Amino acid sequence: MDFAFLPVVELGRLLRQKKTSATELATYFLDRLERIGPRFNAVATVTRARALAEATQADREIGQGKWRGPLHGIPYGVKDLLATKDYPTTWGAEPYRQQKFDADATVIERLGAAGAVLVAKLAMVELAGGMGYTQANASFTGPGKTPWNPAYWSGGSSSGPGAAVAAGLVPFAIGSETSGSILTPAAYCGVTGLRPTYGLVSRHGAMALAWTMDKLGPLGRSAEDCGIVLEVIAGKDPKDASSVNRGFRMTTQSGSKFRIGVPKGADKDIQPEVAANFRAALKVLGDKLEVIEDVELPDLPYGAVAGLIIAAEGASAFDDLLKDGRLSQLTAPEDRTGGYPALAVSAPDYLRALRVRRPMQRALDDFLKKFDALAVPTRTTVATPLDKPFRDGWPGVTGGANVIGPTNVVGVPGVSVPNGFGVQGLPTGLSFTARAFDEGKLVSLARLYQSRTDWHTRRPPLD
Amino acid sequence: MDAISRRAFAEQLALAAAAPWFVEDFKPPQQQQQIQEPSALAKALAEAVRVRYPDRFSADDLTAITRSIDGRLRAIERLYQTALTNADEPDFVYSVYRGAD
Repeated sequence: MDFAFLPVVELGRLLRQKKTSATELATYFLDRLERIGPRFNAVATVTRARALAEATQADREIGQGKWRGPLHGIPYGVKDLLATKDYPTTWGAEPYRQQKFDADATVIERLGAAGAVLVAKLAMVELAGGMGYTQANASFTGPGKTPWNPAYWSGGSSSGPGAAVAAGLVPFAIGSETSGSILTPAAYCGVTGLRPTYGLVSRHGAMALAWTMDKLGPLGRSAEDCGIVLEVIAGKDPKDASSVNRGFRMTTQSGSKFRIGVPKGADKDIQPEVAANFRAALKVLGDKLEVIEDVELPDLPYGAVAGLIIAAEGASAFDDLLKDGRLSQLTAPEDRTGGYPALAVSAPDYLRALRVRRPMQRALDDFLKKFDALAVPTRTTVATPLDKPFRDGWPGVTGGANVIGPTNVVGVPGVSVPNGFGVQGLPTGLSFTARAFDEGKLVSLARLYQSRTDWHTRRPPLD
Repeated sequence: MDAISRRAFAEQLALAAAAPWFVEDFKPPQQQQQIQEPSALAKALAEAVRVRYPDRFSADDLTAITRSIDGRLRAIERLYQTALTNADEPDFVYSVYRGAD
């Protein structure tokens, strides 16, 4: 049977009906990871022994009638910044290639408790991009390639999770986002990505880039799949002081229309296909939306705050690399010096950024509460070519509305769903962003869109 | 410059040399070409980095570091245009610790 592109819900149904087993699924996806993964530089480590042990246990339990839930027996991968006790955790970076931890990250513990089967540690941009990479070749595993056209980038920094889900190497994956690292690969790889509210998912056991901005979340084949995963991984964790005492439950919003704000300039001076797909997506949902055009985010220094916080916290998180010079071992030349300018950030300036962020949070929440969600094209272009710096990838594209930066710096959630294709056969993405802890609205909107379209079911040309 | 405000443009320009790519969407090339001569303060701070690690950087490395520092210094100016009072604290809360007796 062809399991590669089946959603989690369908794989679970097959398992419950005994039409397959967890061991068969694990073996199937392990083989695909080993056979197809290298084409896209998507895999850091295939966790075959662990996967088969977990799958055997799942089969035993399912055979005994013990059903742990919708992820029981389902294979998955994680971005290689999540600690695992039995395999290296490389953070995508040469200096950490042999790094090992003695415990699993909380997210992996929770997925394991739900019966999910870890089949791979997936590739990522080195140090989650914290040293300022400017082109795709920024990991010891090589540049991430989108399965839709391997001459183009998979996006980052969750490059492996995006490519692996898109190529049917795993049914779902866990990525991380400090500022764009889930939504961008979701868009460039044509999959669904969900960035939860800061604190909803424990960061314990995850590599820190910026403690006050890092978020973990799922990439999957559909919004429903991402919602199922978020239900399992969300919740308070005593090991992460920033985690909040909230969970997540999927609901379906029916009846009233969604009130959607479209930021000014969102589809102006961007790639024409991206703009057309965005407008077509809003039209698909037309009867369920009340669209308010040309809304404007509060005029605040989001970029300055984000840049300073990431620089200062990143330089501190990796101060050992800065001090002993191992930054020089990084793959991207620009990353080898990218951390040093942060040494010139003063403590008062960093604290100023943290102080400014508090009124910024209030202002953005006051703005977002007027809507159920904001809608924008996830990126203003399709994936950038591998052989050019990002900024030279698509010259002439000067517009769009920057929502990823402001919403990440204050920590509110977002979702990206595939909404068509652009130049070079590359996918485009539609994003919804909402107030803190409104993941339910985002998943409802995304599920509604995916109930009316089939972009999320398209398969890249792998053969 | 009709798509963005003058202040937003200044912030983007400053950040072009200062922030990881993911902080902002990619900027148009014409904005990149307008990066100015680094300030004296940026040069001095870059020199402090060099002194800290005297054998680590090439001339090109130091140029990149200086530009990055300069960009960030200009971006920081906007932080001080946002009005704050003495009572506006950082967005974290320190809590005291007492271990088991």
